[in-house]
Parts: sequence; structure tokens; C-alpha cells
Amino acid sequence: MARLAGKRALVVGAAGKDNMGQAIARRFLAEGAEVAVAGRKRDVLDAFVAQEGGIAVYCDFSDKGSIDAMVVDTAQRLGGIDIAVNATGWGLLKPFLDTTPEELDAMIALQLRGPFHFLQALIPVMGDQGGGSIIQISSATATIMFHDHDAYMATKAGTDHLVRSVANQFGHLGIRINSISPGVTETPMTAQAAAVPGVLDAFVKGYPLGRYGTPQDIAAACVWLASDECFMTGENLQVNGGLTLRGNPTKADIEASVAAAMARQG
Amino acid sequence: MAGRLDGKVAVIVGASNPQSMGAATARRFAAEGAQLILAARRADAVAGVAASLDATAQACDITQEDQLAALAQTAIDRHGRLDIAVNYAGVESGGPLLETSADTFRQAAEVHFVGTALFIKQMALAMAQGGSIITASSLTALVQAPDLSAYAASKAGADMLVRVAANELGARNIRVNSIAPGFTESAMTAGWFAMDAVKRAFLKEIPLGRFSTIGDIANAALWLASDEAFITGQVIDITAGQSLRRTPRAEEFV
Repeated sequence: MARLAGKRALVVGAAGKDNMGQAIARRFLAEGAEVAVAGRKRDVLDAFVAQEGGIAVYCDFSDKGSIDAMVVDTAQRLGGIDIAVNATGWGLLKPFLDTTPEELDAMIALQLRGPFHFLQALIPVMGDQGGGSIIQISSATATIMFHDHDAYMATKAGTDHLVRSVANQFGHLGIRINSISPGVTETPMTAQAAAVPGVLDAFVKGYPLGRYGTPQDIAAACVWLASDECFMTGENLQVNGGLTLRGNPTKADIEASVAAAMARQG
Repeated sequence: MAGRLDGKVAVIVGASNPQSMGAATARRFAAEGAQLILAARRADAVAGVAASLDATAQACDITQEDQLAALAQTAIDRHGRLDIAVNYAGVESGGPLLETSADTFRQAAEVHFVGTALFIKQMALAMAQGGSIITASSLTALVQAPDLSAYAASKAGADMLVRVAANELGARNIRVNSIAPGFTESAMTAGWFAMDAVKRAFLKEIPLGRFSTIGDIANAALWLASDEAFITGQVIDITAGQSLRRTPRAEEFV
């Protein structure tokens, strides 16, 4: 049964092959929605659309003008926007004391200013059409610790609180706004680190359900939040198999796990 | 048409009144293909809802561990498995702190805390293939609720129980979550909803501008019950944003 039939969806952060945004877009299409995929790499977007359907829209999520243009363009081409997902992110790992002003600015531009302007652009569009559902992809690390991830964690946490504030203000327009916090998810963003033997062994101990997440887990939660069945707003869903009950491994835990894996391999 | 709970067996406690969250959840689960065991303190009270859904009706007082074990066993005996268990058992326990009796505190703790603990334990023991356990929390466990100390605190205690249980039971592939409904029109709240002043005062504190319904709660239970929810140890807030604001005080009911 198509749970999003007749809905018009915008997924930004979908310009990476098989990344979280693409998994979400793919699931939305399967549930009967019309989908615009957005991001910075036009060729990747075009390839997705050619294979899966939907439309491609360019967006540099660090730039307000680009966000505004994306929302206007999408609303025109789809005839409105009922669902909007921000799945952009920059997984910078950098020790706190070494993080440069340039890195911090870039992180804030993508992970705090971008969502801020995205919400500013969407509220009038969704308000005029009588409502909608906005989903911000946050991170478990907005509430739990991870090493060398300060700029990422702080901007994700800031955006979660922005979600609450904007949800509180615009609920009367029928607009619901929520965020989802994945843990470690098998995506291109984490593939490099995950390929090192021992790394994922260290992480999986933090998951009560005994496995880390997949992009499909996040896409399934997006369908729930996007559908008319969901009477939630201003919430942060921890879609990470219980990771926040335990926590991420420390840097020392990961190093020990990698060393153990290497010793096993001889 | 494939149902989202095809092949699953669910136990739902607190489903006797057709206008209850339990009954709404039972109707939704049945429509999605689940086979149901419905329970309430008196079996005859839940028989009507059960008969309409081709479900089994059984008496169960969730403060009695042997009755919970028997309830889970019924799922195994009838259908060979237990995948989903939902607990909506609750007891009204309001009143100003200074006027609340020891018996009221004990009864709230007995049903909301001890009962929830025994429910999670006995249902988990029967879930041989993993499963999803869902229990009812409350808006009042999240934000200040004047004159509801026994109710609110016993519900909040159960939410911590959910977290600890989720951490322990994950290894059995069992997910444990709670749903915090807002001020929901149901059999339990009908008296409050009969008062326009109460409704007006609450509505001002709900960002989405309408009360949650028993159907909204059933929808959330369906998501948590399905294989599409990689989530455990969480309180799912179905208060339409009211937890961002407050609950009104009695003097505002004018």
C-alpha cells in the first residue's frame, strides 16, 4: 500500500550515490510520492533520476540564495511541497583544539545556517498550502559523546533545538517538524572509517539491538514522520537501535579494537 | 493487500472500552493483519471488542505476575508465538499532593510502575523470536502537571524502566518503547472533555491546534510494532507539541 500517495517531497542531501538522502528518496518514490532530489552534484542527481524517477534540483545547502531557489523551483515543478527532508551533513573529525575558524564556519553554514534558512523558506510554502512535514536528519552525537566531533555535534544539537522552536511556532499552520538521530549508519560518509578492520566491532557494542543502522532504517522512520498518520511535532526520534542508552566507543576503545583485529589477521 | 503486521501475534492490555486507546490499537493491528489477544481486568468487559475483531479475550490484572504469564502463554498456545505486546492499563490518580493518600500513591505505583515492570518481564520471556513491547506513558511524565503527582511520577518511573529494559533486552532482539499521549479524547477522559473550559485551556497549549485521538495513538503503536522501527528505549511523544509548552492549571479552567 502506498503510504505517501499524492505527496510531493523534497530530499536535499541526495547527491551522493546510495547515501542516506538517496535511500530516503527511493523509499518515498516506492510509497507513491513525487520526489525532488537535491544537492550539489548535478551528475549524481541526474543519474539517480534517470534510474529511479523524480526530478533533480541543484542546491548548495551552505548558501541561503541557493536554498531559496531550490524551494521555489521545487514548489513550482511539483505544484507544492508536502514533505521536506534535510539529509545533508559533513562528518568532520578534528580535535577540538585544532579546529580552525574556517572549518567551524563551514560546519555552521551547512549544519546550522542551512537548516535555519531551509525552514525559513519552507514555512510560507507549506503554510499557504495548509501544512506539511519537515524532517531534519540529526545525529545521536547531538546528545551522546564522540571524539573529535565537536563542531559537528554542536551544530546538530543546535538545529535540534531550532526544530523544537519552529515546530512550536508554526504548528497552527498544520506544519509538523521533527528530527531523526541515526547512529553509525552504513553510508558513503562512514564507509572509509568502517572499512578499517576492528572499527565497526568497537561501535556495535554500543547498540543494544546488536547491529548499527542502515539508510533503510532511517528511510522507514522518514515515511512514518512524513505520513498523515503521524501526530508528532517538535520531536527528536532516536532511530539508532538504542545507541543513546549506551554510547559510542571512545577513541581509545576504537584503537584497541583495531589493534586486536590487526593482531587476529597476523 | 499485504498488511504491515501480517503473521504477527499481539497482546494488548486495556482494550475493553471501544473508545479506548487499547481498542483503537486493536482495530488498527487487526486491519494490518495481526492476530490478537485482548485483555482487561474482567474478561467479559473485553469480550465485545474481541468478538468484533476475531480476537481472544482474557482477564488480566497487570499487577499479578501469574496472570501476565498466563496471558503470554495464551498467545503461544493459540498462535505459536508472541511478537508484540502493548500495555495501556492505567489508573486515575489525581489530586493535590497534600491531599493524596498513601493508598493512591501505592495504587499508582502498583499499576503504572510495578505492573509495567512485570508486563515487560513476562512478555519478553515469551518472545522467543524477538519482538516489540510498547507501554503507555503520559504527557504528564514529560512536563509539569499540577495535582497529578502520583500519576505523573509513576509514569515517569516507568519510562526509565523502559530505557533500562531496552538496554537489557536488545540482545534478545526485543525493542521496548513507550508512547506519551497528549490530552486525548477517550473513554478515560470523557468527563474532562465534557467541560468546554478545560478543552479551551488545553487547546491553547497544543501547537498543532487539535487534541490527539485514540487513532493517533494507535498509529504510533503500529509504527513501533512494525519491523520498520529501529528504535528502542525511547518515549514517543504524541502530544502534538504540547510537551514544548505546558499543561494548564486548574484555575485556568474558566
